[in-house]
Amino acid sequence: MSDPLPRAAHAGLAGCHTCGKVSPVTLGACPRCGGHLHLRKPNSIQRTIALMIAAAALYIPANVLPIMTVVELGDITENTIISGMMTFWRQGAYPIAIVIFTASILIPMLKIIALTWLCLAATGRTHPSPGMLGKIYWFTELLGRWSMVDIFVVGILVALVQLGNYMTITPGPGALAFAGVVVLTMFAAMSFEPRLLWDRLEILGIDPSPPNKADS
Amino acid sequence: MKAPFLRFRRHLHPWPKPRGGPHYSVCHFCDTLHEAASLPEGTAARCSCCGAVLYQNRPASLVRATAFSVTALILMVVVHSFPFLVMDAASIRTSLNLVSAANALIHQGSPVLGMALALFTIVTPLAMAGGLIYVCGPLMFGRMAPGASQVAKWMGKSEPWNMIEVFLLGVLVSLLKLGKVADVHFGMGFWAFGALMVCMAAAVASIDRNELWDRLEVAKS
Repeated sequence: MSDPLPRAAHAGLAGCHTCGKVSPVTLGACPRCGGHLHLRKPNSIQRTIALMIAAAALYIPANVLPIMTVVELGDITENTIISGMMTFWRQGAYPIAIVIFTASILIPMLKIIALTWLCLAATGRTHPSPGMLGKIYWFTELLGRWSMVDIFVVGILVALVQLGNYMTITPGPGALAFAGVVVLTMFAAMSFEPRLLWDRLEILGIDPSPPNKADS
Repeated sequence: MKAPFLRFRRHLHPWPKPRGGPHYSVCHFCDTLHEAASLPEGTAARCSCCGAVLYQNRPASLVRATAFSVTALILMVVVHSFPFLVMDAASIRTSLNLVSAANALIHQGSPVLGMALALFTIVTPLAMAGGLIYVCGPLMFGRMAPGASQVAKWMGKSEPWNMIEVFLLGVLVSLLKLGKVADVHFGMGFWAFGALMVCMAAAVASIDRNELWDRLEVAKS
């Protein structure tokens, strides 16, 4: 197995993003499902970076502005994501504080860092090691949705706590910004093209050492 | 389980391939080109370069996808008819279900969030379960429902936006938040939602994208 493994792009073949059928890219549209055919997602780096910058910019108001306002007997408390987490921590509810910290603070931040790293590697500014970066990409896609949990909590609390003069909860502008961060990072992860990492390896002339070969 | 790749094994029940060929499969991760061999049920083909899963042959895929989707639809009726959480505080009883949560957000000054919540927890799961029944049900008899390929296309697009398990976590977090303030207990809707989450995950995982589209192509011709 000294020959490098065949890559679809060299043969002018493209796998459809929708249905997976492999057809010559010159057809333009997939003969099975009608989806657009391209060897690589078009402008994937630019799209990913643009969506990521938007997400990073929204991340600031998402954490600074209140995600919900609690009015208790005329007393107004504004809750941010961090203050909500700190309340749990002070009450000694450590597991739930850690869950909120992971979902709302850690995952969005790690996603932005991971996608930046992936874009740098795909454009050749850092060394592409597709094995590890591939796993990072997979995690980014998998974990992204869980950040939505704080938005759902706001929705649930707003619906449940409508006790007239005693206590009411209304959503704050931070919640909208945070939902924007989650949706934008999800789109950013979707528009990234992991195959660019392997293209980089090829340009550098490195044969990707297949993990399967070691077994056989 | 290590799956055979590019090696011919005795097929238990490979799904029917469209006419013509040879059939290829491209790794969506590293772009390595493979010849797509038929797989016995319960195995997966992995990329020989990066090890990512290329396609899988799930056992009894069409039957399972339809059955789990029908169950999910029935559970959705239960989920929407009974409250998730019931709260007694200050001699007022309030209850929560999916529609009331979305509604509350819409009427308390955040219509975009309310609509997003409805989209991620009501519309997408409904579309996924309904779509799977519409596509996989007729395919069991080798037929293709009219417009099934459009439905399958949209199902693939909406899959990442199905967030029922995230909402379930949200219910648990809210329960802990409110536990100190008021008397909160689970309603029937919560348990049905837990079951719905399992059914939706099972329905989506029961058929591979490549198998679905191959079967659609065979049924069309």
